[in-house]
Amino acid sequence: MTPTDALLRYRPWTGEFRPPICASWAMARSSLRLMMRRKLFWALYALAALIFFFFFYGQYLVVWIQLQTANQSVPVLGINVRIGDFLKFLDRLNLNGSAHTFGNFIWFQGYISTIVLAMAGAVLIGNDFHHGSLPFYLAKPIDKRHYLLGKILGIGLFVNLLTTLPALILYFQAGLLYDWQTYYFEHLRELVGILAYGLLLTCSLGLLLTATAVWVKRTVPLIMIWAGLFVLCRMLGNFLVDGQRFDERWRLIDLWNDLYLVGLWCLGADPITDRAGPQPQPWEALLVIVAVGLLSAAFLRNRIQGVEVVS
Amino acid sequence: MFLCLDSLTRTFGSFTALHDVTLRLEPGRIGLLGPNGAGKSTLLKILMGLLPPTSGSGTVLGLDLRTGGNELRRRIGFMPEADALVPGLTGLEYVTLAGELYGMPRRQAQRRSHEVLSYVALDEARFRKVEDYSLGMKQRVKLAQALVHDPAALLLDEPTSGLDPAGRDVMLNLIRELGRDHGKTIVLSTHLLADVQAVCDQVVVVAGGHVRSQGTTATMCTSRSDRWRVKVQGEPTRFLADLTAGGATVIAADGRGEFRIAVPQPWSNRRFFQLAEANAVTLRSIVRDDESVEEFFLRTVNAA
Repeated sequence: MTPTDALLRYRPWTGEFRPPICASWAMARSSLRLMMRRKLFWALYALAALIFFFFFYGQYLVVWIQLQTANQSVPVLGINVRIGDFLKFLDRLNLNGSAHTFGNFIWFQGYISTIVLAMAGAVLIGNDFHHGSLPFYLAKPIDKRHYLLGKILGIGLFVNLLTTLPALILYFQAGLLYDWQTYYFEHLRELVGILAYGLLLTCSLGLLLTATAVWVKRTVPLIMIWAGLFVLCRMLGNFLVDGQRFDERWRLIDLWNDLYLVGLWCLGADPITDRAGPQPQPWEALLVIVAVGLLSAAFLRNRIQGVEVVS
Repeated sequence: MFLCLDSLTRTFGSFTALHDVTLRLEPGRIGLLGPNGAGKSTLLKILMGLLPPTSGSGTVLGLDLRTGGNELRRRIGFMPEADALVPGLTGLEYVTLAGELYGMPRRQAQRRSHEVLSYVALDEARFRKVEDYSLGMKQRVKLAQALVHDPAALLLDEPTSGLDPAGRDVMLNLIRELGRDHGKTIVLSTHLLADVQAVCDQVVVVAGGHVRSQGTTATMCTSRSDRWRVKVQGEPTRFLADLTAGGATVIAADGRGEFRIAVPQPWSNRRFFQLAEANAVTLRSIVRDDESVEEFFLRTVNAA
């Protein structure tokens, strides 16, 4: 027998198997790989990078102006403007390592990740049903909890790569720009808030995306449903509260706003100072998010059955 | 003992998919035959521990069907009939993911994936995306993902479905070799009887939720002493009339002088020669008319 023949022959394998929870991690890595392979999404990743660099260099710029050139002036359209006046404009953007800095940053980045997730839902989950990949997963020594955990973990990894991780970088940068010996201790609440906001986005978006992708399976209907949830509901909420003067609780139909309110609460920031118009209480927003999460989980529990393995 | 089922019943509401199934199967290459709706899929789900039986009990590879769960699926490799691919992954990544889902450490899953992909002759295509594979390659990569953790048993659901003759031969050879040379227990669920005949040494026929018949392929496709294929040269009309008068029955004629004849017992083949001589015809051949798996299957299902 030649070495090539030996290579082509079947060989037994002996080794230790790991617990099913490790399978969820493998699924999450595969999900992330699938999302990174779509060239279409790279335009959105570039936009996310742009937002990050805006905040990163914005924080640096604000500190630099304060320290170096606050009393100088520069000509703008022929008019000398004191650089210190620029700070008033930049103050509105909250590029100062405060809770609102991180809240705003995650708001923008979260939008990008939501758009990507709406387009990637069919790839990550819908295909398992549409192309019959579910038997591939459920015929393995895992149950549907591990399957769901793997999918949600994959979504969570992606969301956190776009929101929590860069927000943490901004947090550490702010500490270095200001007084690092006091900043990190005085702003521990922001650190916890960033992590909690990331966890909130991971759980809520993960469950919601999995449920909608299992329901509609294909990309276009999925995008339409998410556009309805995050754009139309938002417009309707604003119309009812700001236009028709309804109770501010009508704004709770805007799920993205609910996530933001709870996120700001985690960060220790007052939403009233940041959001225009009356806002519902953070605990009310949290109740809505929990209800949506529970509904999604209940739907998934009924839909993903092991018996679908052999069709 | 590979499989041991005792009075196994599975109902879905008022519909009974499996009725009181009692089955004992030794390790080997087992064909699971049955028409659509026979209960094959339900039986496979129960064997994989995905569906609990409504009543009755059983073990697969010594593990209880009700409590075996994940451990049962770890010892079994399943090749589904559906595409079951993950679009966007390469063949290597797909098989590696399967290995990790079975619980293999990542590095070992990768190494093993290279091996099994070479074994199923996909080594040159392993870095291509699975959705770009031909149908035959898709079937082989599905076999590779079922083999990656070196299971004791393989459940194969229609493994040759949609393959061309060459691809089918390759797949059947792989399956036969896995069972014969590497000691895997194979359960081949199919409606292609020729596949069962080519690969399996045991057959279970399921119809209407009942196990209609079970045994070795050799025993079930039995050499029957009451049926013969007789080839005649000359005008056969009077010869056949005399045979019929003597209690024999002409089952079929191929139009080229060959007849399938059922004879009464006891019977001596000398009688064929006597009647041929009397009717001036020449016997070109007399061979025993063994029953094929196909005939056996049809007979069994029709009887049900």
